[in-house]
Amino acid sequence: MSQDVSVNNMHLVQVKSLKTWLETGNETIKAVDGVSFNIEKGETFCLVGESGSGKSILALSIIQLLPARISSHPEGDIFFDWRKQNIFGQENEAVFEQVNMLELDEEQLCDIRGSRIAMIFQEPMTSLNPVDSVGEQIMEALLLHHPEMSDESARDRALKSMSEVQIKDAESRFDNYPHELSGGQRQRIMIAMALACEPDLLIADEPTTALDVTVQAEVLKLIKELQQRKNMSVLFITHDFGVVSQVAHRVGVMKQGKLVEVGDTRRLLKNPEHEYSQKLLAAVPENLPKRRNKQITTDNKALLEIRDLDVFFPIRKGVLRRVVDHVRAVDGVSVDINQGKIVALVGESGSGKTTLGRAILQLQKPTAGSVKISGHELVGLSDNELRPWRKKMQIAFQDPQSSLNPRLLVAKTITEPMQVHGIGESDDERIELAAQVLESVQLERDFLWRYPHEFSGGQRQRIGLARALALNPEFIVCDEITSALDVSVQAEVLQLLQEIRKQRDLTLLFITHNIAVVEYLCDETIVLKNGKVVEQGLTDNVCGNPQNEYTQKLLAAVPRLKF
Amino acid sequence: MNNPAKHHRSSGFLRRVLKQTFSGWGAKIGLAWIAILVFAAVFSPFIANSMPLLVSLKGQLSSPVLQYLSVEDIVVIIGFFILLVMFLSPLRHSLKTLLLFFVIMIVGVTIVSKQFVVEQQNIVYENFRNDLKTTEYDWVVMPPVPYAPQDYLRDVRAQPLEAPLENNEHSHWMGTEENGGDVFSRMIHASRIALGIGFLATGIAMVIGVILGGLMGYFSGIVDMLGMRLVEIFEAIPTLFLLLTFVAFFGRSIYIMMIIIGLTSWSGYARYIRAEFLRLRKQDFVQATIASGLPLRSILFRHMLPNGIAPLLVAASFGVASAILAEATLSFLGLGLVGAPSWGQMLNQAVQSSTFNWWMAVFPGGAIFLTVFAYNLMGEALRDAIDPQMAKKAGVAG
Repeated sequence: MSQDVSVNNMHLVQVKSLKTWLETGNETIKAVDGVSFNIEKGETFCLVGESGSGKSILALSIIQLLPARISSHPEGDIFFDWRKQNIFGQENEAVFEQVNMLELDEEQLCDIRGSRIAMIFQEPMTSLNPVDSVGEQIMEALLLHHPEMSDESARDRALKSMSEVQIKDAESRFDNYPHELSGGQRQRIMIAMALACEPDLLIADEPTTALDVTVQAEVLKLIKELQQRKNMSVLFITHDFGVVSQVAHRVGVMKQGKLVEVGDTRRLLKNPEHEYSQKLLAAVPENLPKRRNKQITTDNKALLEIRDLDVFFPIRKGVLRRVVDHVRAVDGVSVDINQGKIVALVGESGSGKTTLGRAILQLQKPTAGSVKISGHELVGLSDNELRPWRKKMQIAFQDPQSSLNPRLLVAKTITEPMQVHGIGESDDERIELAAQVLESVQLERDFLWRYPHEFSGGQRQRIGLARALALNPEFIVCDEITSALDVSVQAEVLQLLQEIRKQRDLTLLFITHNIAVVEYLCDETIVLKNGKVVEQGLTDNVCGNPQNEYTQKLLAAVPRLKF
Repeated sequence: MNNPAKHHRSSGFLRRVLKQTFSGWGAKIGLAWIAILVFAAVFSPFIANSMPLLVSLKGQLSSPVLQYLSVEDIVVIIGFFILLVMFLSPLRHSLKTLLLFFVIMIVGVTIVSKQFVVEQQNIVYENFRNDLKTTEYDWVVMPPVPYAPQDYLRDVRAQPLEAPLENNEHSHWMGTEENGGDVFSRMIHASRIALGIGFLATGIAMVIGVILGGLMGYFSGIVDMLGMRLVEIFEAIPTLFLLLTFVAFFGRSIYIMMIIIGLTSWSGYARYIRAEFLRLRKQDFVQATIASGLPLRSILFRHMLPNGIAPLLVAASFGVASAILAEATLSFLGLGLVGAPSWGQMLNQAVQSSTFNWWMAVFPGGAIFLTVFAYNLMGEALRDAIDPQMAKKAGVAG
């Protein structure tokens, strides 16, 4: 440890050949495996990588939040430039001391955490305590690190930091509880809490992943502004290259615990040197080779005709549970879905896109309206009357964890619907058909004899698709099927969908919030807001030249790769 | 978690959980005690009986025990061996086939043995003792406990009540009760009632609970509303008083008692299954089965039930323990079975006798305690094994 009063030309954080090993039962996982990098004062350093690459573990190692019971650092150092004296208004007289985070005791770590290094997480709802008001929680963080502060000055300071993160009317929001705030506001509160003690380093672990794209744009802008104003350093963890290009000064690409490439953002996004960075960037939907058939076919035969479709959920109140109002999840939607097209359904969370998808399939009974498939009315049919139509329309889901029955063999999952619909004469024939379907989604035959927990997320999504394809449907609703996947896996699934569409004359309703995916894959686009269609048309028109104000706002908020 | 699949590739969930459950010593002890009870219950006529197992009279072999077996004995023993064979056989069938096979076999054996076995109503155990004294047998093999449970020695002995190992002439390991019946023999024969009531009553309760709870959870809405009111009605009735009323109406049969305990204890299971189904109903894989147009039966029992049964199994292991307690309570109150001994009834005897004889209370009381304790140990281990957060501690103090 060396005393150093001068500030200049020092790295804020120096990570030197750090290794973090995690013990899980009888296995040691090398989550971080020899990583070295620096974070300069006042810069935003982005860590990018796919899930499981160890980027979160690296961040937790820096702030020393990993449970000592299961984690160890067999090698490496983390030097942090610790600003010791921290009295508000006297920053100029600060004393700096370079410390090794791995050698500090718990008491010193507690002094650093929250006050010198702060962290914000992905899910703002679970990161806030639901039984305290948000103002109290900011005050608590302040008072913990500044016991000398009076309650009033802590309150003032909390209010100030709330207005700093652009919470309108901070005074009245002070006594709100987390559930009374929207997701974006919660994340702002988290940032306010993190910044209340004016830390030198803010670690942001996927802070915008759970947010809508318009909210994400605001939060990113906010972080960037605050970072510049306060000259603080940010370690930003993300998997989204669009976000990287918006916020980062420098980028580090992680793969299986190793930092494979570090570089200036512009340079790295433009000419990635390492093979893995190249592969990752090539998989970003914007960079995928455009294969969408551009020619606009004239025979727009509608496969599905949806007219004035309403799905209302009653709001009940009082002792008698009287219906006082309705949540209008889908509100008078009329669209045609043309044969052989991939139609995108875009909108923010809560816009009713998933409900619309399920209402078309009659998984959610519509309140009113009509859904016709090749001219046959579906609304109002009983389960038995619907069964023959079920074969023609299928669904694939977002969450690879819950979309397959964990207790059934893949073979059973795929062949059972075939049996019900009389596809295949015998069990053997159905197994053979199932194997063929698996091959058509580029999986191996003997995956039939395994259970879902043995597969990765991407493989499960393919099995989910195989299950939908097994019935030879004409129409598939793809409900955010790539949202939970890593970017390279997403690219594979998107290319697979193109293939399948080419082979079988399929019509897809592709529900997503990812505009880049829409532009890559979809022929037509429907934009949904609060259950109503605000704009629809060919993708090139909707995305290239949006007419509606909301669509324009939505498209402007999308983080794009800038070179 | 790199690739958890690698380690237990294609091992079923159930097998994994069972292995986890019985990894700790607590559950192992519980399982061992239940295994001893099962053995005692199945082979009780051969373990404790006043008749010889095998006699040889002038080179002619005969087995009085076999001649006097009742239909129930035969069904229990054959059922045990069928289960053993099914468990050990390398052929793996679906649970449904095995269950169906088992039920058919049991019904078949019952009908056949009803045809051929003549039930001996009143067995005079004194005759065997006289035979042993008077007839010149070449050799005789007696059961380990040479007293039948209903072999009352009050007319034979001057002092029928004996403490354990008090008299060197006859070996009563756990003493005798006031009528001179051997306590150890009665304990062994009563274990069949304890086990049977535990399994069958819980089984009945589970079947009712799963069906009603499953329908409530799947359909929700009005079905759920009515179902929950029914559950609340059943939960509002004190079980013990309901049991007393039923016993008063229908008499004291072990089977009726099983059915009554089952009928009154399903509400807890229904609640569990309902909650699970409400959760599962919104899961994507269930939605996918609906989208595929699968029949309701398959959605409920193939896709939802196996994913929601885990908490039910835990509740069931505690339920078995409480069913045994319910029977013991009834018998203790003097409303149990008339002829056959049961642990609760033996406790009742101990309390009612003029002097306090510790062996009449300690052994049946201890058996009830151990059995309930064993089921609770296994239930707790099972609960921990199913809960992934607790999985490391499974088996109660692993």
